[in-house]
Amino acid sequence: MFDIPNFSVPVLIFLMLYGAYLLLFLFYGLFNIYHLIRYGLYGFGLYLIITVFAGGTILLVSGSIFILMGFDWSQPIFLNNVIETYSKDLFKSW
Amino acid sequence: MFYLNQLPNQRENEKVVLFLRRHWFAILIIIVAFIFLIGVPLAVGWYFWETVQIWLSHPVIGPILVVICSIYFLSVWLMAFIEFTDYYLDTWIVTNERIINVEQEGLFHRTASELDLAAVQDTTAEIRGFLQTVFTYGNVFVQTAAEKSRFHFININDPEHVKEIITRLVEEDKKRTVSQGGSLIGKVKIVGK
Repeated sequence: MFDIPNFSVPVLIFLMLYGAYLLLFLFYGLFNIYHLIRYGLYGFGLYLIITVFAGGTILLVSGSIFILMGFDWSQPIFLNNVIETYSKDLFKSW
Repeated sequence: MFYLNQLPNQRENEKVVLFLRRHWFAILIIIVAFIFLIGVPLAVGWYFWETVQIWLSHPVIGPILVVICSIYFLSVWLMAFIEFTDYYLDTWIVTNERIINVEQEGLFHRTASELDLAAVQDTTAEIRGFLQTVFTYGNVFVQTAAEKSRFHFININDPEHVKEIITRLVEEDKKRTVSQGGSLIGKVKIVGK
């Protein structure tokens, strides 16, 4: 029988995925703000909307980065029997 | 950015009579959907907090869970903002000369159109259904002779009142045109000689 080698990838791959998502988020967010500034009606409401969105985004992104900084990103994910390996940890308390 | 006292292609003596957006009920739907999409996962996480804590302390499951949750919450936040922008940029401006309609359809589609009051043939207000009746909002259709027969004001506040104002403005515009020595040939307003 074949002996399948034990492949593994670092958890860092998910951080890279998150980084790519943040770039996409930035693109859409800035494009939306551009739309508001370019075509929106001048007034206090316009500045309030942009400030609320920017503030909320900064809070969410900085909060997630703060939590993500606490993890060891060099940990490997073993691809062989990935479900069997991690299902015990997933439902440990059940 | 545009100013109500500096409309695009503003005409002499043109004044803004109505500036309309969709009824606040549209905003309420966005807020309710936002609270639901944020609240339900938070409530589930709170209910199963012991399990979530075990997952977060796991060296592999923990970071993956945080990345997935971050992407989810940021997506909900962004979608709410895009929907709000769609609402905010959908406007109808009625002046004593014309009707301007600006519609934002998604992030990459924007339509701006205008209609001279002289081209208006008929105006219809529509309040349909329980919610529209209770909250007094609905649609106004402005009929013209052109192929694109109707100019739509969608889900605006007090459509009956808006219809009355547009009808009055159309009448005033016709009277003014005639008094200035112009004539109304078909649906085209001709001012002067």
